[in-house]
Amino acid sequence: MKLITLARAEIEKLLASRRGMLSLLAFVLVWLLVLRYAIAPAAKMLGTGDDDGLVEFLLSQLGLEALTSWPAPQLAIYWVIGLYMLPLFAVVTAADQMASDRSRGTLRYLIMRASRLEIFFGRFFGHAFIQLLMVLVTLASVLIFIAVDTPDRLSDSLSRSLMVVLNIWLVLLPYVALMAWVSVIARSPRQATTLAIIVWIVVSLLIGWVQAKYGPMPWLDWTLPGSQVSALLRLSDWKTLDLALIPVLHTVVLLGIGAVTMARRDL
Amino acid sequence: MTGTPLIHCQGLIKRYGRTTAIDNLNLELYAGEPIALIGPNGAGKTTLLSLLCGFIRPNGGQAQVLGHNVGSKALNGLLAALPQDALLDPRRSVVRQLREFSRLQGFQGTDAVREVDRVLDIVDLSDAASMKPDTLSHGMRKRIALAQALIGSPALVLLDEPTAGIDPPNVRIIRDLIRQQSSHMTFVISSHNLDELEKLCGTVVYLEKGKLLRSGALVQGDDSPLLTLRLGDVPADRFLSMSLTLPGIIKVRQQVQGDWLLEVSNEASAAVAIMQLLERENWPFKSLTRGRSLEEQLYG
Repeated sequence: MKLITLARAEIEKLLASRRGMLSLLAFVLVWLLVLRYAIAPAAKMLGTGDDDGLVEFLLSQLGLEALTSWPAPQLAIYWVIGLYMLPLFAVVTAADQMASDRSRGTLRYLIMRASRLEIFFGRFFGHAFIQLLMVLVTLASVLIFIAVDTPDRLSDSLSRSLMVVLNIWLVLLPYVALMAWVSVIARSPRQATTLAIIVWIVVSLLIGWVQAKYGPMPWLDWTLPGSQVSALLRLSDWKTLDLALIPVLHTVVLLGIGAVTMARRDL
Repeated sequence: MTGTPLIHCQGLIKRYGRTTAIDNLNLELYAGEPIALIGPNGAGKTTLLSLLCGFIRPNGGQAQVLGHNVGSKALNGLLAALPQDALLDPRRSVVRQLREFSRLQGFQGTDAVREVDRVLDIVDLSDAASMKPDTLSHGMRKRIALAQALIGSPALVLLDEPTAGIDPPNVRIIRDLIRQQSSHMTFVISSHNLDELEKLCGTVVYLEKGKLLRSGALVQGDDSPLLTLRLGDVPADRFLSMSLTLPGIIKVRQQVQGDWLLEVSNEASAAVAIMQLLERENWPFKSLTRGRSLEEQLYG
């Protein structure tokens, strides 16, 4: 029950506060630009086939021929852009799970009423739900685009939507968990974002160094959130869920580190 | 004292780097009149309250509140606090945040709404419910912070500098609120305002350099009863010589800050004799109180 109350408060901050609505508006505007100037022309190129097979050749060279089997080119391009771009939005929007409240002392009012772990996980669930909303909103915009542009492809696209939502949301969860952890340490959302970048670079360098020193360890390449995305693009339809365990594991590990940090930290 | 202590600390230690903020503190406090927590800057008052609230972790020893270990879930709703510099979220209205707090304390639906209305009414800020915290004055923000501490009528409320930096009307409102509410909850008040604490508290805890220097009743049982007299513009030599001739007055001396400390054989009869002298000589006076002032007790 407390988890729901805490998660609800996070959603309320986004939807019922002026600053939250401004962030949402900024996101919508950026997304409309992406839709207009990235998804629409790319989908046109992929869909018309009047390039003498150049696009298909390039996709096959990149191992991305699975993209040609999507019911609508708009959805295929959304799939690529969503997997790479929405994590950036997730990092920004989930950066303030704790940081501001900790530096302002607001967390002290909560800690008298809920345990540290309830606060930590309640806020994570709230932000995970916000990411789900973002995926749904962006996908809805693409589906509207398909309905207007190529209505005959809408029903097939709708039937693929659940898979798209589930996959992109799973990709986003480790980023939300990463921000949950670093925002416990940081004093501001900007500092949390900087810390996340530092963690990312340090872990990348560490992986490279370990493999250079001790020989190839392919499993280490799966260490960072999003490391499965390029493999995900080579799969199609429900086969994509074969890789679902990777983001789930990333999320669990990052939440574990975050929960321990939250439990030990002075507030 | 018997029964479960409100606060029980044993060998409590808190260090920040090389600085020991709380140094092997043993303390036992019981329910009743408000308790004053005093000491100079850096004495460890805020650190002690933060430890009791579970905001920070001790490096050694243990602390219990109402018989439960600090940080225990059982304390949710029983222990409340007004942390010194904590602010509410400026993005959300006061009422939304207080309702979240009340729901976290177990109030559901309309009960949560009613409980928030009740505490806002106590602090006389029902009109400010829909406002954002950063649009309120400092004094109003303190009263809202006090309102959140009263949600669910907890047994123990820890107030860290509740009147610091606020104007006299708001100080008075907060003082009256504490007095009204202290009939059914115990307050521990950390403050530098000794006059304020003297008006409110029955027990004093004095910390210095993280150690407990004194804990006990505010009015101490001296060998002889004492009166503290604060006079207006009165010739000191004449007052001294004439007061010593009054029945029941054993010794008279003037304190550094100007108050007169009178050692008497019987407080009531000496007080009457002093009042008669002041009336006869038409000398103005400001106050006459039993015992020494808190400031005199601590620093006299």
